[in-house]
Amino acid sequence: MEIGDNEMMEQEKMEQQDHKVLEIAMSAGHILLENGAEISRVEETMERICRHFGVESENFFVLSNGIFTTGSQNPESPNGLYAKVLHIPVKGTQLDKVVAVNQLSREVEEGRYTIEQTKEKLEKIRHMPGKSFHMQVLASGVGSACFCYLFGGSLTDSMVAFAAGFLLYVFVLMTGTFRMSKITKNICGAALVTLLCILSCRLGLGENLSHMIIGSIIPLVPGVPFTNGIRDIADGDYISGAVRLLDAMLVFLCVAIGVGAMFMIYHRCFGGILL
Amino acid sequence: MIGQVIAAGLGTVAFALLFGVPRKYYVYCGLVGGAGWWLYSVLVVYVHFTLTEATFFATMLVVLMSRFLAVWDRCPATVFLTAGIFPLVPGAGIYWTAYYLVTDRPAEAADNGFAAIKAAVAIVLGIVLVFEVPGRFFKRFVTLICHKRGSGG
Repeated sequence: MEIGDNEMMEQEKMEQQDHKVLEIAMSAGHILLENGAEISRVEETMERICRHFGVESENFFVLSNGIFTTGSQNPESPNGLYAKVLHIPVKGTQLDKVVAVNQLSREVEEGRYTIEQTKEKLEKIRHMPGKSFHMQVLASGVGSACFCYLFGGSLTDSMVAFAAGFLLYVFVLMTGTFRMSKITKNICGAALVTLLCILSCRLGLGENLSHMIIGSIIPLVPGVPFTNGIRDIADGDYISGAVRLLDAMLVFLCVAIGVGAMFMIYHRCFGGILL
Repeated sequence: MIGQVIAAGLGTVAFALLFGVPRKYYVYCGLVGGAGWWLYSVLVVYVHFTLTEATFFATMLVVLMSRFLAVWDRCPATVFLTAGIFPLVPGAGIYWTAYYLVTDRPAEAADNGFAAIKAAVAIVLGIVLVFEVPGRFFKRFVTLICHKRGSGG
């Protein structure tokens, strides 16, 4: 039973192609997972890409911070097996990348791109620029002001909340550059906001301290892990869902600790009744 | 109330920007967030629902709208949902819990903490229930509208 040279070459080529496809699928999954997509979407997209390019033997296992892939065209041949583990630490969310990959996977399915082109497109999506520093900081301020108003604050309160939310995000983005645990970051952020609001209240700016603080801590609220965690659990991805919900709960708790701690510190240092 | 709904919409857009939602979806996000808060306050003020019930129904509206828009514009529902749900997330509950804890009023702290958890559970149930609705339903709905729009000129 001998296989001809031609056949061998043919087979090797096929294997190489399969590996490339799996590589692309992994890279698409990486972008999706990193930027806040649900587990089922990651799996579905990876499968879609593989199906379209004719890879049938693949298996994916996606967790909230990792992707495991194996695929084998022909397990007997030495290079036939593809196996890779990708560790993906939790990072900031950029939903536009999720939208872009989703769009790309649809277009791939329609047969618009070759393997090489898909790879290029994915590279482009990976390097899509995020929102600028100014925009993010401004958005955080506007969001804080809006939510302060929403929860019953006056216009002056909202103005203070704007400033507090603005400075909060300056702090968040600045600390993002050096290593700081999420726990510390959220406690410090919430404490900072509380301090700013107490100070401005003492200076006579703003009437409702509570509403100002509520408005300005909203940018810290973990909306993405919260909603994604719920959806993952609903989809039956219990491990990832539980991890994401734990992440959200931890942040909630840290924010509460930060606010409470600042109240206590202020009370100890300057006495007086807590507002 | 109109002022509040606008504030909710604008706030939602601000958070949509923070999450990197593409610019063309900002208006939709604002609509979803504003509508969620509108239903919430209507239910609380006029129908006298409890906060938990109101949160539940408002969440359902937010998720329904997100899924509809997702099919309409062929993009993930997460885009609208994540920011749109923000006005309903019990951020105030967390604050009051912490506040009463440090001011040594454990009964009020427990009340507020419990209310925040109830609101969170209401959100969870709202999201889970609406995601059980099969996608076909939304697709049919969208094609129906498109068809009407097409024939109507």
